[in-house]
Amino acid sequence: MEPILTGLGILTDPVAIAVILLGTVVGVLVGALPGLSSSMAVALLLPFTIYLDPIPAISMLAALYCAGTFGGSITAILINAPGAPPAAATAFDGFPMAQKGEAGRALGMAAVSSVIGGILSLVVMVLAAPALARIAHSFGPPEYFALAIFGLSMLASISGKSPVKNLIGGALGLLIATVGVDLTTGVERFTFGVPQLYEGISFIPILIGLFAVAELLSQADVVDRAMDRIALKAIKLPSRDDFKRVWKTILRSSGIGTFIGILPAEGSTMAAMIGYNEARRWSKHGDKFGTGEIEGIAGPEAANNAATGGSMVPTLALGIPGSATAAVILGGLQIHGIRPGSYLFENQPELLYSIFAAMLVANLVFLVFGLVGARLFSRISLIPRTFLWPTVFALCVVGAYGVNQSLVDVTIMLITGFIGFWLKRYGFGAAPIIMGVVLGSLVENSLAQSLIIFDQDASRFLERPIALGFFLLAFLSIFAKPISNGLKGLKRRRAVNGGHS
Amino acid sequence: MRLLMKRGHALACVTTAILSASTALAADFPSDPIEIAVHTSPGGGTDTTARMVALVTQEQLDSNVFVQNRKGGGGSVAMSYLSEQPADGYTVMAVTPTHLFTMMRGNAPLSIDDIQGVARATDDPIIVMVRGDSDYQTLDQLIEAGQQGTIKWGGTQIGGVDHIAAMSFANAADMTVSYVPFDSGAEFAAALSRGDIDAAGLNISETRDQIEAGEFRPLAVMADERMSALPDVPTLAENGMDVSFSTVRGYVVLKDTPQDRLKVLEDAMLSGLASDRYQEYLQGIGLDESSIADAEAWDQQLHRMYEAGEKTMTELGLMQ
Repeated sequence: MEPILTGLGILTDPVAIAVILLGTVVGVLVGALPGLSSSMAVALLLPFTIYLDPIPAISMLAALYCAGTFGGSITAILINAPGAPPAAATAFDGFPMAQKGEAGRALGMAAVSSVIGGILSLVVMVLAAPALARIAHSFGPPEYFALAIFGLSMLASISGKSPVKNLIGGALGLLIATVGVDLTTGVERFTFGVPQLYEGISFIPILIGLFAVAELLSQADVVDRAMDRIALKAIKLPSRDDFKRVWKTILRSSGIGTFIGILPAEGSTMAAMIGYNEARRWSKHGDKFGTGEIEGIAGPEAANNAATGGSMVPTLALGIPGSATAAVILGGLQIHGIRPGSYLFENQPELLYSIFAAMLVANLVFLVFGLVGARLFSRISLIPRTFLWPTVFALCVVGAYGVNQSLVDVTIMLITGFIGFWLKRYGFGAAPIIMGVVLGSLVENSLAQSLIIFDQDASRFLERPIALGFFLLAFLSIFAKPISNGLKGLKRRRAVNGGHS
Repeated sequence: MRLLMKRGHALACVTTAILSASTALAADFPSDPIEIAVHTSPGGGTDTTARMVALVTQEQLDSNVFVQNRKGGGGSVAMSYLSEQPADGYTVMAVTPTHLFTMMRGNAPLSIDDIQGVARATDDPIIVMVRGDSDYQTLDQLIEAGQQGTIKWGGTQIGGVDHIAAMSFANAADMTVSYVPFDSGAEFAAALSRGDIDAAGLNISETRDQIEAGEFRPLAVMADERMSALPDVPTLAENGMDVSFSTVRGYVVLKDTPQDRLKVLEDAMLSGLASDRYQEYLQGIGLDESSIADAEAWDQQLHRMYEAGEKTMTELGLMQ
């Protein structure tokens, strides 16, 4: 208990509160702008944190990280340009809602579900951080392979489009993920002698291309109908009924996010995708997902913010960053002489609780920011298309360039933009492609690593209980529906037969 | 005679002019911001160290020193950027063994003779490490097991310093190693503690706590001399193997950079690296002041590492 109180003591330090507020505001802004990533913002702030004490310094970076994940949803909803990878799933239903004139409702929902997801995961962290660190530690290549297979099992059902098209999209995503040097063989694949492709295609340009540029091209097809902008309902916030409808989704996604988040490697993007898919699976309006369902926002937003809190656990306890931003925060820890590792929780538990306290403050601040801002930002959806989309295009180019200061990324963005536009015309969704890109290198590398560890004997996957559990979930996710349909059919027949006899 | 004198006078004038121009240049340098080009994304040891070095060097100069990430191609994106810049000392590049291996494979627009070392910021030897409860109590036991069977060895990407180091060690000790590549040092440290792999080449900066707690057991250091932090751990050299690999991070400029500017940069970096702030950082990551080297020593080490690496890679058939 004492370390918790010492840790929370940070909330009485005015300097710490001030830098946490600063981190939160900067986080929301850079999170919202497609090319400005929170990892870059953290890297730029790093040298300045040296003049602070370690705990406020790390707290500021953690608050920025937290707020950045939320910020990404703003542009995902308003202009279909996810500011950061974890917000990709938010665009699926968020942007259609904004187009229907419900931007405020979507933004408000994103803010509230992010905050609930974030706070619930922090509560779990405070209660069980060391235990969760042990779970994260027990995840080796075989467990990751099984987790990735579970993720891929959702491919066919992740968007409302036809399952076959979803699978084709997923395969395209997996193909994109093969570009670059293969981890286990060192062989260059599909790099065509371009050194910028050596480490693979960056995620951000693909995201901007597939979402924003593709949307821009589609918008160029549509005549601007000024009458669309009649209603000022755009700035309306979500109603009480909306929350009644989504609270189960928020709770479920918070659980998913917290769990997936503690596993290192792009946790929050994957958590958001799974959160979205589960929201769809359990919703009464599952078939309408992708056309602007409010659960489609609550699902990924609660999950990705829960995962942000969760990803601090492997970062601190194992020194394995849960995301690009966590990697820079890790550098921040080292600059302040804090060595991440399993001994950190035992030696400096108060640091852990301070970071959680900072993230709690960040959550509350961006709730206010998000709700007040929702009314303001939602007016962006009222800007005539002829003015809005050229501006968005400029933002896209800057954004894609900004990731690595590379024109190659701009080219990739333009190419994926045209591909995305074309795929959209023929009824393919972006969700399975993104899922394929996110999981591609994970599934491939973890399989190759596992097989070396298992002396090329695949049956030894059966010796790993956690892996088995995920294989079982993957099996259920694919076959649960056919089986339950089969059982229902059987019951009905029996009932019919029973009635006759 | 008169003519000669005139010419001599003219020569002297020109010389004075050049001299004064160059001293003026040295006095003016640096008047603009200095860039440190880093070949990785933000985060990670090379980027973090570079940001630290930029900060402490900047405090010694009137100009800003900033880090720019130029990621890609195992350092070749950063190297081609450097090669396109004028040799004026305003562009500094962070160098790691990765750059040298990329040069060896002929994938870089620069060669080892095109760069000039300025200073070295970290020197982190690779340590042969097993689990604390492993059956391998000594280096000989590990080698014996590797000669009779196969040792699963964890490291970073194929063709990187960890891989070359592991293969050189296996070659020198005549062992069979099955190499498992991971994305980062922390990941294969976790794999070692889970028991997924038998041994790994790890740095002290990644494992100090685990060594102290007995979770990991260091068997040998891949260096010429024992480490002050691990005085009881022998080197591979003591065991008759000429295998010395280290995670070094230092800074270079283009070879044609004027000597006086190089000197200004070197002095600023060295005083920055000697500052309390940088020393605390070094201690935090488990290293000490022996990490720091001046331009001459660092430049020599770069050449020595390059030659040794080239030899190993040819012997192991890793050159493409």
